[in-house]
Amino acid sequence: MSVEMSTISDHIRAVQQADSSQAMLVATSALASCEHGESVNTEAISCLVEVLGFNNPGAAVAAVNGLIQLGPVAVQPILDSLDPRNYGARAWAVRALAGIGDVRGLDLLEEALASDVGPSVRRAAACGLGSLRLETLEPRQRAELRQRALEALLAGCHDGEWVVRYAVSVGLETLALRLDPPPGQRLQLLEALARLAQPELEETPVVRLRASLAGQRLQTAAQAATAHGDAPAAAGR
Amino acid sequence: MAGTTDPDTGSTAAGEPITEAEALQRLRQSEDQSQQYYAAWWMGRNRSRHPEALPLLLAALRLRRPRDPGAGVENNGVARNAARALGKLGDPSAIPELLACLDDDDDGLREAAARALGELGAAAAVPLLTQRLASGPQVAGAPRSDSPRLQEPCEALLEALGEIGVAEPEVLAVITPFSDHERPLIRSAACRALLQLTGESRWAEPLLQLLEHPQLQVRRAALMDLGAVGWRPALEPICRTLAENSLKLIALRGLVEQGEQHDASIKAEVVLSAMDSLL
Repeated sequence: MSVEMSTISDHIRAVQQADSSQAMLVATSALASCEHGESVNTEAISCLVEVLGFNNPGAAVAAVNGLIQLGPVAVQPILDSLDPRNYGARAWAVRALAGIGDVRGLDLLEEALASDVGPSVRRAAACGLGSLRLETLEPRQRAELRQRALEALLAGCHDGEWVVRYAVSVGLETLALRLDPPPGQRLQLLEALARLAQPELEETPVVRLRASLAGQRLQTAAQAATAHGDAPAAAGR
Repeated sequence: MAGTTDPDTGSTAAGEPITEAEALQRLRQSEDQSQQYYAAWWMGRNRSRHPEALPLLLAALRLRRPRDPGAGVENNGVARNAARALGKLGDPSAIPELLACLDDDDDGLREAAARALGELGAAAAVPLLTQRLASGPQVAGAPRSDSPRLQEPCEALLEALGEIGVAEPEVLAVITPFSDHERPLIRSAACRALLQLTGESRWAEPLLQLLEHPQLQVRRAALMDLGAVGWRPALEPICRTLAENSLKLIALRGLVEQGEQHDASIKAEVVLSAMDSLL
């Protein structure tokens, strides 16, 4: 254990002392891939969060991956670090929260998809809204958060950038497969995908293709569930 | 000239998005050229279908003047943006006036017109485009003494020939020498055009190598070029190269949308799943 701790401290020091963007990338990657064992090193989390604000895209990608690996324990430090003046850092934070899928990130993901100026941030938020981890919550709270995520994604169908609408299609597919929406929501979701698949309503071929693929996958999954007799409320029973 | 607006974010200095009516009004007036410049860009960005868009943009294109080293650049700024917008509007009736711009003294306007003609798939432009390049990398592709630009806007001319798609032997003969140009961006544009025109994988090889070039700018160009062709065998190398996910997604979109003709053994669904993991 003490060996591991010292290795992590060494990696943190290497990040703090990096004197070139390449050195920063190498040090961040090493820190991000550290095994933490039972107790996570909070300094390592702070250090990775700090890298998000350094305007070094390569290192930021590595830090985001490391934070996603760490999971829920990284969520509060990320939220605490949000700096409205550092746009780049905010964008990376959204990506990390989207990847972790913790419900504490929901406010930020909603806000990012609705109004962030960067399409890369909006597309990450759309993905994240589909993959929130709600399974441990009370049914009522679960339903409420799922409703919010769905509404944010439905609004995102009208985004001006094709890549965001593409990500919304992916988000809707993931939400339907993982969060088991009730029949009414499921219908809304399928209708939204059908609109994104229609040439009269959606100008970008790749978005139409992705949305119709999502629609097919959801139909197939529903049929398989019915065949196994374990269809949820959607079967009407 | 463009100081008050930022065409890349689509907002004015005040940050207010404008309406189509406002854009048409700004294009129509002639006192403030920075307003016209922005309005011309707006028309293209939003692919306006208003019946006045085309005549107003053609009028803006005619505002160009002979190059006068002291002044007169501003009108050409408006004309260049008008040419770009005309390419995006997709109306072939703009072709004759864009063709005339290929002989303009302003190489920036020739560049914008070439790209627009490429977007319009204007076969009528092929003789003029090849003529501009016919002197080869040593002359048309020679660097200028007064700027980092080349004698001709080679990248735009080559890309337009690839987009238009006339694969005559004379056209290929003019493009081929540029695949050995000293500048990697020109090589990339030439290989892109040759790959589009011939579908021969020998022209994909140099592009795949450029994906590993030490300069990010070159890797980005190769990404965009492989995407424009829709070369599906490039799927893995595109995912691997060191560049922004945003650009990889644009390139992979090209592989999905243009790629069927090159290698149907790589299914669109495989490319889509690669895109999903880049979001």
